[in-house]
Amino acid sequence: MSVPAEREPATSAPVPALEVRGLVKHYPGVKALDGVDLVVRQHEVLGLAGENGAGKSTLLKALVGLVTPDAGEIYVRGGAVKLRSVVEAANHGIGMVFQEQSLVPNLTAAENILLGSEGAAVRRGVYRWDVMRRLAQEQLDKIGSKIDPLARTDTLSFADRQMVEIAKVLRIEQRSQHPPVIILDEPTSVLESKEIDTLFAQIRRLREFASVVFVSHRLDEVLDVCDRVTVLRGGQSVGEVATAGAVPRELHRMMIGSTGSDDHYHENAAEPVEAEQPRLSVRGLSGKSFRDIDLDVAAGEIVAIVGVHGSGREDVCRALFGIEPTSAGEIRMDGKKISLPNTRAACAAGIGYVPAERKIEGMVGPMSVAENMTLTKQKARCAGPFVVPKKQAGLVDRWIERLSIRTPTRDTAIQRLSGGNQQKVVLARWLIGGDIRLLLLDHPTRGLDIGARSEVYRLMRELAASGVATVLLADSLEEAIGMADRILVMNDGRVATEVGCPSGGKPSPLDLVKEMV
Amino acid sequence: MRIAIRPAAVLMTLSLAAAALAGCSEEAAGDKDPAGAGACKPADVKLVGQVRNESNPYEASWLAGGDAFAKSVGLTQQRLTYGGDSTKQQEQISQLLAGDTKCLVMNVLPNGDSDTAPIVKGADKAGAFLVTQWNKPADLKPADYKTWISHITYNGVESGKQIGDALAKSIGGSGGIIALQGVLDTAAAKDRFAGLQASLKENAGVQLLDQQTANFSRAEALTVTKTLLTKHGDKVKGIWAANDDMALGALEALQQAGKSGKVAVVGIDAVPDAVTAVQNGTMTATVSSDGTWQGGIGLAIGFCAATGKLQVKDIAADNRAFYAEQFLITKDNAAQFAQPKTDPADFDCANVFKRVAGPLK
Amino acid sequence: MTVTTGVAASRRIIRRGAAFRDAGPPVALVVIFLIFAALSPQFRSIANVQNIVDAAAVLAVVTCGITFVLMMGSIDLSSAGVMGASALTVSLLVANNRNDNDFGLAGIAAAIVLGCAFGFLSGLALVLLKVPSFMATLGVSAIGLGVATLMFAGVQPNISDAMLKSWAIDRFLGLSYLTWIAAACILAGWLIQRYTRLGRYAFAIGGAEEVLTLSGVRVKPYKVAVFTVAGAFYGLAGVMVTSQLGAGLVQAGNGYDFSAITAAVVGGTLLTGGRGGILHSTVGVLLVMVLTNGLVQIGVSPYWQGGVEGLIVVAAVAAAVIPQRRRNQVVK
Repeated sequence: MSVPAEREPATSAPVPALEVRGLVKHYPGVKALDGVDLVVRQHEVLGLAGENGAGKSTLLKALVGLVTPDAGEIYVRGGAVKLRSVVEAANHGIGMVFQEQSLVPNLTAAENILLGSEGAAVRRGVYRWDVMRRLAQEQLDKIGSKIDPLARTDTLSFADRQMVEIAKVLRIEQRSQHPPVIILDEPTSVLESKEIDTLFAQIRRLREFASVVFVSHRLDEVLDVCDRVTVLRGGQSVGEVATAGAVPRELHRMMIGSTGSDDHYHENAAEPVEAEQPRLSVRGLSGKSFRDIDLDVAAGEIVAIVGVHGSGREDVCRALFGIEPTSAGEIRMDGKKISLPNTRAACAAGIGYVPAERKIEGMVGPMSVAENMTLTKQKARCAGPFVVPKKQAGLVDRWIERLSIRTPTRDTAIQRLSGGNQQKVVLARWLIGGDIRLLLLDHPTRGLDIGARSEVYRLMRELAASGVATVLLADSLEEAIGMADRILVMNDGRVATEVGCPSGGKPSPLDLVKEMV
Repeated sequence: MRIAIRPAAVLMTLSLAAAALAGCSEEAAGDKDPAGAGACKPADVKLVGQVRNESNPYEASWLAGGDAFAKSVGLTQQRLTYGGDSTKQQEQISQLLAGDTKCLVMNVLPNGDSDTAPIVKGADKAGAFLVTQWNKPADLKPADYKTWISHITYNGVESGKQIGDALAKSIGGSGGIIALQGVLDTAAAKDRFAGLQASLKENAGVQLLDQQTANFSRAEALTVTKTLLTKHGDKVKGIWAANDDMALGALEALQQAGKSGKVAVVGIDAVPDAVTAVQNGTMTATVSSDGTWQGGIGLAIGFCAATGKLQVKDIAADNRAFYAEQFLITKDNAAQFAQPKTDPADFDCANVFKRVAGPLK
Repeated sequence: MTVTTGVAASRRIIRRGAAFRDAGPPVALVVIFLIFAALSPQFRSIANVQNIVDAAAVLAVVTCGITFVLMMGSIDLSSAGVMGASALTVSLLVANNRNDNDFGLAGIAAAIVLGCAFGFLSGLALVLLKVPSFMATLGVSAIGLGVATLMFAGVQPNISDAMLKSWAIDRFLGLSYLTWIAAACILAGWLIQRYTRLGRYAFAIGGAEEVLTLSGVRVKPYKVAVFTVAGAFYGLAGVMVTSQLGAGLVQAGNGYDFSAITAAVVGGTLLTGGRGGILHSTVGVLLVMVLTNGLVQIGVSPYWQGGVEGLIVVAAVAAAVIPQRRRNQVVK
């Protein structure tokens, strides 16, 4: 039951626990928030839904003082507040469980829970472990967790660590007189289903004495645990849905909007080439976190691998490039077996890898665009051991133009470019040799804005059309469905199922999610 | 090479020195022909002493000797220290040579053998008078240059043997000794140890129980000596150390092991503390190269040449590169070395080569 | 460490590694000790064991200081300079042959305070001027040596203070007073590490600095404090060297900077921070000392010792680090 994007008239309900009006935040080239409105009532679980880039994370950061908005107001229980730091937010009773867990791994759970607000547990700089244990236990008791407060955090399971985080966030009760507002950013993304159930039970308990903002990619979860959902799109709130009786499709429609996405996003440009033998053929590949992977990719085909965090798909991708060790199985390129695990052999066989951690693994930040582009294909720019500047310049300029990379000069340090342009340089690195046959794209659009993303999509399409085979680990299910010809669903290290994904016959995200969990 | 690796101490004085240099007159160094020597009036001579650092007694005494000589001729010595950093030494030298070099006299302790050549060539080109000490490669000879007057060094084999003999005598000609070597890959360490071995050959009753390196360092010598004392116990009658710092470390180790006075200790260099120790009997002997004399003599030779009292071409070949006389200090003569002082007569132009103990081969 | 990719994998490894991660260095210590003991009767004598422990005293104190800095993920090369300055300070303030001072304990305290001041300076350079700790502390070391050289002024100060001299000579239960002082430092260090906010936050800064910031902790004062505490340890170590050598040497701290880092790393304190601690480092110190002593005792030629020692240290570190390797941790 969707209602128009209007703020609830504050008549019936008491003052909202938290309210946001017209929040605006610009980043260079991107309008992350474009007048967002949000109301969190007391003792409710509010879901926040939106595609990547809809502005969710910027909004959350603004709520805990990590981002200062350019315009707009935040009200806590009716009073306007300025949140300039995590501490100020905590003083107003707002706390967040971060998506990337924010615990110190080498401290005990108790220390993490009390970090920064030790209170009576530290007197004149000296720890009183018994008090610390007791205070931490009180926090854990609130959420009914059985964790030993003195266990070292890095010995706890992921789910337990999340409990520690929630216990920690609840310390803000000590700072403010009011029931707190707890924000959970993608808390379920790495949990197993049983753990998710526990978490949801937890969230329902929290509602008794707090307000909760719950953010998740998974719409079924959002509908399951939330009382109400606010949908964001393009930095604006586009609607509110009471979850009772709502269905995911409705939410999804609101998230995507009626305009639909770019054409190439949902249309496969060319049919994959039918050949005698697939370009890439993987049989029985096993490694630390995956087993018995069979995978064929034809020339010109884009195959996406989807799965939850921990399904092993990243490791499979890295194994194909010879980074991740494997224990069994074989990889053939055009029928020829390549030795494992060996990055050089993979390169020689025409395999290129665009890593997810672009800034760490994908590029050398302070080096120039030209150097980054020619990093692996030294031959193309060299005569013997020497770099021939002219040769390099011509080559690099050609690709800068072809991929329309926006850079002041070819000698600009790559770290000064925007994310999208960096990614294009990384891609170009594999293309300049002209002998690329298989591209492994590990989250190629991570952190890119919408415009840059569609350029990367266009590029992928072009490459596929020219006969390059592609294995894609997409950032979202929608991306996988949009781009791929075929989708492999991985679950717990195995291929759960394979779904055809031709133009006009695309599966829905829910079809895939079923197999993923 | 004397004491190999000195810590890179910060040279507070350096920046001042550099500033002073920069302010020097830019008078064109027109007459670079040292044959025209004698043109320098004594008051125009600029005296420069350069050592690694002032933080060890030996090099401090060297600079003090230089000051003493300078005072005796009514001048002051410019003191340069380069903290054991070869690059810094070269920079200081080239800065000096970029200024007025006509009456420049330098008494230099090159950091290592390989540092000598550029200094010599620079000085020769600029016509500055130069005396080097301790370090030079064998094939680089002052006789081949016009203004590199002399190279002075000491026979390490000789000093190693002198204290070896003194040690043997002190333990009555028989018994076990241990040796503390310097930095193993330095010429000083090698020569001095060779001297000990020569001494052992002559004193058949003395047995070398063990030899370890303590890298010329007092602290390392302390630890190594303690270890060797536990290893060999009462068999150790004497300790031969390749320099006084290590000898002093060994003395501390003996004291901590409750063996003070029961084991004879010898060293080389005659640093003040060692001389004191010899004087009061806790140490048996050390060898002095007479650092104050070294600091003065280099400047004196240069001063004589610059003022024309000494013609470089007239200096005997044996005096262009020589071993200088060194002195074994024992309890008998320690008192006269306790207060390092210079004898102005040593620096008289007629006497500057008095301490030549033999030509450098 | 923020856990992002490969969570499941790293979790497994951490659990498995936790069991014997900390056991490596102590086991290595015992094994190396037993090997030397088997090879040399002198080595296993009581006197030699006392000797090893005594010889470890100064290094142990320096390592106590450096461990806090390493735990935080920074590095500290200032010990050589700070010890030199402290050695000269103390030798000129207690009874000595250069002046008429005789301040006794107050002189020692002054040297330690001077060490604190140098540490404070390193810390300030790090957090205010944003100089990397490597460069900041190297600079402070140079300043310390410079100050020491100025105080040295050409004449070595020999101490005649009976108490300070007795520290190196007099024994209690077979060990020198210096060794007991080192033991007290280790205990103090352990208490700081275990029971004070300073120690725990130093540990946490090495583990995940940004988490502290997200939790509203102001990290900078703690960083400065850690360097200050480390400076105090170096100051004390300078005093101890002076007691041992009976004189104030500019070179008092020569080589201790890298020996201490080596000892800490051998003991299992990682240069990346967040792991290890005082007790680990103590084991590392003993390991290094046993090694140096043992090689002399079994009569390895001095010409071979440096190489052999280096080889064993690298092997020991490798053995200690292997269980800790994780996929996303690049060891450069």
